[in-house]
Formats: sequence, C-alpha cells, structure tokens
Amino acid sequence: MLKVDNVKKAFGPVTVLDGVNLTIKPGEVVSILGSSGSGKSTLIRCINGLERLNGGRITVDDFDVGKPKELSEARKRSATVFQLFNLYPHMTVLGNVTLAPIEVLKKPRAEADATARALLQSVGLGDRADAYPAQLSGGQRQRVGICRALAMQPRYLLLDEVTSALDPEMTAEVLAILAKLAAEGTTMLFVTHEIEFARQISNRIVFLDKGKLLVDLPTAEFFAAEGGMANPRIAQFLSKMRKD
Amino acid sequence: MRFSDFTPFDIWLLLQGLGVSLGLFLSTSLIGLLIGTSWAVCRFYRVPVLTPVITFIAELLKNSPVLVQLFLVFFGLPGLLHIRITPTTAAMITLSANSAAFVYVIAVSAIESIGRDQIEAARVFGLTRWQVLRHVVAPQAMAFAIGPLTALLVNQLQVTSLISVIGVVDLTKIGNILNLRTLKPFIVWTVVGLLYYVCAKLLAWLGARFENRLRAHAAWRGL
Amino acid sequence: MRFDLSILLPHLGFLAQGALLTAEACALALIGSVIMGAFVAIARTSSSALLRRISFVYVDIFRNVPFIVQLFFFYYGLPEIGIYIDAFTTGVVALSIAGGAYASDVIRAGILAIDPGIIEAAEVSGLSRRVTFTKIVLPIALRTSVRPLGSVLINMILTSSILSTITLNELTGSAQIVVSQTYRPFEVYVVLLVVYALLTYLVSLGIALLHRRLNRDMMEAVA
Repeated sequence: MLKVDNVKKAFGPVTVLDGVNLTIKPGEVVSILGSSGSGKSTLIRCINGLERLNGGRITVDDFDVGKPKELSEARKRSATVFQLFNLYPHMTVLGNVTLAPIEVLKKPRAEADATARALLQSVGLGDRADAYPAQLSGGQRQRVGICRALAMQPRYLLLDEVTSALDPEMTAEVLAILAKLAAEGTTMLFVTHEIEFARQISNRIVFLDKGKLLVDLPTAEFFAAEGGMANPRIAQFLSKMRKD
Repeated sequence: MRFSDFTPFDIWLLLQGLGVSLGLFLSTSLIGLLIGTSWAVCRFYRVPVLTPVITFIAELLKNSPVLVQLFLVFFGLPGLLHIRITPTTAAMITLSANSAAFVYVIAVSAIESIGRDQIEAARVFGLTRWQVLRHVVAPQAMAFAIGPLTALLVNQLQVTSLISVIGVVDLTKIGNILNLRTLKPFIVWTVVGLLYYVCAKLLAWLGARFENRLRAHAAWRGL
Repeated sequence: MRFDLSILLPHLGFLAQGALLTAEACALALIGSVIMGAFVAIARTSSSALLRRISFVYVDIFRNVPFIVQLFFFYYGLPEIGIYIDAFTTGVVALSIAGGAYASDVIRAGILAIDPGIIEAAEVSGLSRRVTFTKIVLPIALRTSVRPLGSVLINMILTSSILSTITLNELTGSAQIVVSQTYRPFEVYVVLLVVYALLTYLVSLGIALLHRRLNRDMMEAVA
C-alpha cells in the first residue's frame, strides 16, 4: 500500500502541498487532476523521494521515504516515467532499460537483456533495441521510458504527465500502452491532463487545487453531477479543459 | 658556495626579482597589446598581403612553446645576424611577440562579436572607417575583450618565469639562487609560488573591477 | 647570414627520440590529468562544502603559480622528504597535477551541463551515487568535454618543453644537445618551433575526429 499522510511541501514562501492525504492499494489505477501549479507533479516527486517533505509522511509498503535508510527500499518498489523522458543519451535503448535491473536488482546481464527485449517487443520497439535515444521520436522515447520503469518490476508505477510533451499521434500510442498496463492490473498513479483517458482507465480520480486535495472519488462519481461536478472548482476546471 | 640559512637580505632579493618579473610583464604586455590590436585592426580593414602573414605568424607563436621561442631569440638570432643580445632584450622581444599573438586572437573575436549591421549602419550615416572604429567598434570590443584579456594577462605573468632559464634575474631566478644556497626547496619555492600567486590574484581582481567599470558604461541607462 | 637546414639531418634520429619522450610524458600526464580532473570536478560539484572548498583551493593554486615553479618545487623538494624519483616521473607527476587543475574545470563544466532530469531518473531507479557517477555522469561529461580537454592536452605538449630544465631529454632538451653539437641554434630552434606547431595541429585534428565519433550517437538526427 502506498500511503500519503498529511503531506506538506513548500518551496520557500510558496506552499505547494497543503495537508494532502491519499492511499493507493495494489491493483488500483488512480489519476491526479488539477490545473498547473496545483502541486500534482510535486506530489509524485515527493513519493519517489526527489523532494523532501516539510510535513507529514509518505510510506511505500511501510517504507518511509523520509528516512534515508528506508528510501532505497521504497524506491525499489516504485518506478517513475517522466514528462521529458530523461533517457540516458549515451546508452542504447537496451542499455537504458537494463541499467537499473543490473545495478540495483543485481540481475545477471542475460536475464536483464531478455526481460528488456520482451518489454520492448510488447511496446513495439523490439527492433530498435540497439538504437540511441537521439535517433528516436518523442513517442518512441517515452515508450522506452515506460519499459525502463517496468523493467524494475515495480509495485507502483508513477507517471508524471507522460504525454504532455508529445503530439496527438504519439500521445495516442503511449496512452494505448498505458491502457493495456492498467487492464493487466498494474498499480498506477498518474498525473495527467488527458481527462478522457483518465476517465476511461482509472478506478479513482483525485483533484488537487492549490496544494489541497479537494476530492478523492471513484471515477463515475467524480464525473457525476452530484459528485465531483458539484464542486464549483472542479466544474470550472473540467469545462475549461473540455473546451480546448 | 656557502650553505647558510635565510637572512633578511633575502627578502630584498626576492623583491628585486619580483620587480624584474613585474617590470618585464608590464612592458611586454603593453607592447603586446599595442601590436596585437594593430594586427587585429589590420585584419578588420582586410589589408591584402599583411593579413595572412600576420595570421600565420600568430598561429606559429600561439602553438609553440614560449621556452623554445626564447631560445630561438636569445641563442638563435645572435648566431644568424652576428649581433650580441642581452637576456633581458631577448625576453622583451619574445614575450611581446607571444603576447601580441594571443591579444590578436582575442581582439579579432571581440571585433567580430560586433554585428556587421551596426558597422553598416554607421557607414551609411556617413562615418569614416576610422570614426566607425573609434566610436562604434572599439568601446564595445573592449568591454567584450576584458574578460579574456584578464585571463591572458594572468597567464602571461606565469610565462615570465621562463625568462629565468635564459639568465634574466627575475623572481624565479632568485628562487634558484636561494635554493642552491640554503638547500631548503620547500620554503623557497613555496614563497616564490606565493608571490606569483598573490600577483596573479591581484591582477585578476583589477581586471574584474575594470570590466565592471567598462560594462557600467556600456549598460543601457534607459530613456 | 647563413641558413642551412641540412646540418640537422644526422641528428634527426636523436631528435625523434626526444619527441618520443615528449609523447610518452604527455600521454601519461594526460591520463593522470583526466583522472585527477575527474576526482576534483566531482569534489567541486559535491554537496559537501568542505570538499568544494579544498578542491577550489587546489585548482586556484595550480592555475596561478607558474609551472616551472611547481616543477622545481617537486624536483628539488621531494628528495628532501625522502622521495627519490627520476626526472621523467617527476615531470609526469607535475604535469598531471597542473593539468588536473585545468581538466577539472573542463569536466566540471561538462558535469554541470548535464540535464538534471537524467540524474533524477537515475536517482529514483535506485542507482547508488557511485554507479550514477561512473555509469551516467562521467561518461556524458567526458564525451562533451573532449574538445576543451583537447586544448588542455595541446597546452600540456607545449608546457612539457619546460621539463628540459630538470635534465629530461625530451624534444626541447634533445634540441639543446643538438645545438651544442652543431653550433647552429637558429636552424635547430626554428625547426623545433615548427615541429611543435605541427604536433599541436595534428593533435587538434585528432581531437576533432574523436569528438565527432564519440558524440555521433548523441547528436540529434536531422529529420
């Protein structure tokens, strides 16, 4: 279980997360929605330990990310896919996917390679294993990013606006893969602007506004008039997004 | 040769050596600056025969060791031209030429950093080439070049230490003398190194201050 | 005024040996500088304020004290504390330490230029600091640093001429011996000058090639 417990985070005088509570059970697919600056990405960065908390606690399977000794265990259980891909430019696609399994999980090279190739095959990049990131399109790079995360066999997959840097066509190919993962039972927490997509594959939707968690509802209820839409902020947000 | 400890007179010796080093550094830097910028102006005006020759000489001077240049001037020229030449004169010639080559490169890049469009605009308004140089190019080029020039001068200060090899009694040569006499290399060379270090830092600080003044002049003051 | 290069012919073999020694010393010192530079660069970008301070002081000192003073410090000083090493090793050590100071600046710039997102990706996947440095940071930083490190190497080749002052018979030292045998300093030193310039030119060509090859995979494909 991934527990976010009354988390507070400030950058200098600006409070970005203000008492956020969230629990994710294995198998759930949870989307975090909200406007820019609401703290969505910061929340993910707190969960994977890139940002230090100013208050509250986050535990991944009972490992506290705030405690240095438990952080590495917590990180082994989650994997992150980034908005800007963050692939290692000097390594091949295969190298990118196998680096952490070999160095952190101590898998033998042959096994890591086999797993990596299978993953790349499943996202349609089986023949590009020896290419370098610079030679791939944005959508292909993000697919490599997803494989890199999955190669660690994480219990929780964290996705930080993974299609925001892609054009519509590439966005569709990446979303297709994420939908498949969700259907297969992968636990996912993702921050996204793709409302329709979130609606289709999530179990729950969480809405953040100015650092506060306004609602945390099952998908159907979130989009219902008496549920999420009853909240004026949410209604305003959804109508703005739909218009674009 | 007597082996003895340090005496207060040694401080005077060190200061004398430092004086020689600084004197040569300042004079050769000045000459190098003048020659180097005039070479760059030559290139700016695209003088036909001179420019490629200058570029060739500058490249040669930049890409060969200063020590070898010193040997060439001090040992080579007298043999060739049947003249006598003192170590100091040889040092002056070599270091000036060497500095000029590096100044040339910096000046060229500083001048080229000023967009052609500004120069064209000035010419269209009727300014002569000389006026353009004086009012448009020079001030901006100077502000641009101060940073690299300061770094160059700090480097040339270190380079002066090589003149000790051809016999000029500069700070390094005094260091050699003291080292031979007292046989305390750690103390001698640390003190010599410290003196060079302090001068280098002073030079860098002066350069930074001068740059701030120049840039303040060039800063946009608003309407 | 006579200028006759043919008198150098019988001595070409000897000069070639000197050139080989220069090449050996510079190759070893390059490796030493890069290793030293990598460590110092990591120290300068570390989160420990103490490490940052110490490494900054090291770089500051060895960039602002003349190389010949550093060389004499080691050559005359080390025997005093019981370390007896030959001139070649002393020279390589001195070149490595001085070169390391410049190399560390270059590598540090390369490290700082790495997209922080890449480091974050490495961090969250659980890679240790050591692995992140050896498999991600350094490989990327070194690839982008090839050109400026090439300048460090070229500088080192020119600086290596100073090793002749501690009785090492590298290229310049050998040339001095040839002068004493032929009594033709001008010819010898002119040739020496050109040889060094050629050497540095070839090295710069090699560096450009190496840079292209290493960064080939990282360059964006033009659509």
